[in-house]
Amino acid sequence: MVFENPLLLGAIGAGLAVGIAGLGSGIGAGITGASGAGVLAEDPKQFSKVIVFQALPQTQGLYGFLVAILILFVFKTAPEWAMLAAGASVGLAGLSAIGQGIAAAAGLGAVSEDASIFGRAMVFSVLPETQAIYGLLVSILLLVQVFTGPGAETIAAIGAGLGVGFAGLSGIGQGITAAGAIGATARDTSVMGRGLVLAVMSETFAIFGLLIAILIMLGIMF
Amino acid sequence: MRPARMSKIRAVILDEKVDAVVRQLHKSGLVELYDLTTKLEDAEWKTIVKSSSSAEYGRNVASHMIKVNKTLDLFSNVADQEKVTLGTMLNPVLPTKKNVTFESAEEALNYVENIVNSVESEVSEPAARLSELESKETALENLKENVSYLTDFDYDIKDLGMGEYTYVTAGILNKAVFSEFEADLDQLTEGCISIAAGKTFIDEDGKTEKLPVVIAMLKDYAEVAGAELRKHGFDRFDINAEGTPSNVLNNTVSELNSVKGEIKSTVDKLKALGKKWNDELLVTYEILENEKDRAESYSSMGMTERTYLIEAWAPKFDVNKAKEIIESASEGYAVVEIDEPDVDESEIPVKLNNSKFFKPFEMLTEMYSMPKYNEIDPTVLLLPTFILFYGIMLTDAFYGVLLTIAGLILQHRIGKVSEGAYNLGYILKLSGIVTIVAGILTGSYLGDFALQFLGFDIFQTALALVNPLGGSVYISEASPLFEFFGVSINNGPIAILLFSIILGIAHLFVGMFLGFKDTLKNVGFLDAFLNQGMWMLLILAIIFTSLTGNGMVTVGVLIPVMLLSMYKGFKNGGVLDAMLGALDITGFLGNVLSYARLLALCLSTGGLAMAVNIMAGLLDKSVPVVGVILAVLMLIGGHAFNFSMNGLGSFIHSLRLHYVEFFGQFYEGGGKKFIPFKAKKEYTE
Repeated sequence: MVFENPLLLGAIGAGLAVGIAGLGSGIGAGITGASGAGVLAEDPKQFSKVIVFQALPQTQGLYGFLVAILILFVFKTAPEWAMLAAGASVGLAGLSAIGQGIAAAAGLGAVSEDASIFGRAMVFSVLPETQAIYGLLVSILLLVQVFTGPGAETIAAIGAGLGVGFAGLSGIGQGITAAGAIGATARDTSVMGRGLVLAVMSETFAIFGLLIAILIMLGIMF
Repeated sequence: MRPARMSKIRAVILDEKVDAVVRQLHKSGLVELYDLTTKLEDAEWKTIVKSSSSAEYGRNVASHMIKVNKTLDLFSNVADQEKVTLGTMLNPVLPTKKNVTFESAEEALNYVENIVNSVESEVSEPAARLSELESKETALENLKENVSYLTDFDYDIKDLGMGEYTYVTAGILNKAVFSEFEADLDQLTEGCISIAAGKTFIDEDGKTEKLPVVIAMLKDYAEVAGAELRKHGFDRFDINAEGTPSNVLNNTVSELNSVKGEIKSTVDKLKALGKKWNDELLVTYEILENEKDRAESYSSMGMTERTYLIEAWAPKFDVNKAKEIIESASEGYAVVEIDEPDVDESEIPVKLNNSKFFKPFEMLTEMYSMPKYNEIDPTVLLLPTFILFYGIMLTDAFYGVLLTIAGLILQHRIGKVSEGAYNLGYILKLSGIVTIVAGILTGSYLGDFALQFLGFDIFQTALALVNPLGGSVYISEASPLFEFFGVSINNGPIAILLFSIILGIAHLFVGMFLGFKDTLKNVGFLDAFLNQGMWMLLILAIIFTSLTGNGMVTVGVLIPVMLLSMYKGFKNGGVLDAMLGALDITGFLGNVLSYARLLALCLSTGGLAMAVNIMAGLLDKSVPVVGVILAVLMLIGGHAFNFSMNGLGSFIHSLRLHYVEFFGQFYEGGGKKFIPFKAKKEYTE
């Protein structure tokens, strides 16, 4: 192996997982929090709603934290490249929290004006989490060695992690669309369905990423 | 599976009887009035019927509402703040309903007037006295504050102001500018001034030092000096009193006390009046609200010289009841007709009509959009998969119990006063039960609590079917379930992943089937086939391949499906759209893979629970003495957090799978909700 101690890669993976995902969550929660502070200045009673919306972009950080702990758990048994790839996957995909923060900020703004839109705003705000979930999914699949193809154990695993991780950044775009769709739905609730279709478009790329990651992990190269 | 079928009622009623009809219909809440205004603008109609406007008595009702509202406001202002505790929240007190019925609007208004008058006769005097006392209190507080700065001076306050020869004034000044101020004024008045400063005090901001100052000058300089005073930021007192400052202060304080005492006794009096009248006024207000509704309903009717024309929607199963109500209330002076809907489908109001078991889930359907009148109502389909997906995503027996309890409390306690809470409670209760089952199947009780703290590994026993993070007795590398496309299903995650995907495909197939049926009926076979049919074929081919291992079947269907997607795109918008059409296959793939979130969220609940347990374990081992306490706090806080985070996440992601993936196959929505003409009955019966 390239490194004297192969566990180094696992340590880097754990760091990437909690570090990058934490960065995404921090920014996302910050964006929602800024909007929340504005809402509170107008009506302090909305505090619980602010907290609920601000919680949404924080899940990515949790996923990163979860994978970091898992990596430390499987340190001795998992292939080292898989550990690094798992960290990159959940970490980068965790940047989708930025998009989620944008959507949640818009959702919060709409809900503070009209409480009846709460459920709808919530659904839109959660859309950009799919990317993070795919990142988490690939991380865990790598760590528990579900796939035993050569792609899951060698340096090729990095490809899987980066694929789903970078494609997960599409969550930022999705968040922007979702924010717009929340605004539209707040004005006319009947456009919700069409708004969802538009917002889900960005997800296509996350799905490409997930698909390629699964193919790599299976070791299927054409 | 479709919204309730609607009928239209058309009735011509003699004018004397129309009030009775409106009252009875309002009470029954069976119909939605159809606004005839636009229809009556039609030239042909105009010659026979004209639009009616709101009833006369409505204005009277509105003015009473304002009065009652004002008194209710006053009562709530003086009332003691009720503490909102968990106890009062979980045990909401239902208002006792008062049984009141009136034969006519006049009777109702008489009743209301009586109450409003007797309340007013008791309340108006103390209310006026209270506002008088409150403004007096403000003035006295002001005076007290100003005079308190002047207690160092010994002179009669009455001397303040313009005298025969002198002008005396008092106020506050920043200490920093005092000497400059003194010099400036001395120069301006050519020495004909006397300035006395009191004790320095610190301003409210806690930083600036200020001085109370009394100034006496020759009257002739008053005007020029006034400008100078303002320039230096001199804050002049406006005092109207007699005696030395300390005397005035004492008097003010004692007067203030007596005013405060009187305010308290007046407030007490009003509180008592509030206790006596508040409930009665709430009843009165509701009576007025209902009367207002009735008065306004006239504006949707048509009228001739002696009759009124009413049109209304009613669900088919209620329509005969509504007819009887009109006929009996009008004592036969009415002609009632029942018709099929005679307007465009989009104008027919939509009333969801599900049995009690499904009813609360209508909330989730409505949140997306009401179905159109002739569309499928997806509520019944939503229930089983919603709770199933929820359970799979939360997967913890202990969290499931918590959720079920929370659901029961919401439904049966808070649900007594809030329909939304009742529905949500019901949904959470069912979801909680599925979560318990899913938790038992996956051996998750607060994550791996038993393993971390009791050393009991449930996955080594036959008690848990699947281990979401590895192998179990039933599924492990030693005993794989089966081979699937070259992948051995030999551990928990991949088994759950496969299960999720299969569940997803089945779910999508149901949606597509419904869409296929609808398009076939409304548009035709070609569209139905291009929109849903070919994808269903593809699913069937995939199923065939996975059962027989013959990949050629899927490939054989996949290629024509892609070509047909391109053809569909071409038909819709030319070459560019044809290329986009080829991408439809990724949309299909995306829909299927989206169900992989079932596994991911299931893993994240279990994984985070495990992380909490590990951290608690570390605290217990590494911190001496108080470690146990810290570990328990970590467990409670961590699991509460994990439960609420993932409980919320599962709810919304389950909704998402329905709204985006499932509804996308067949459901459009956009119907107009049926809003019955119905009396409010919160305080009255």
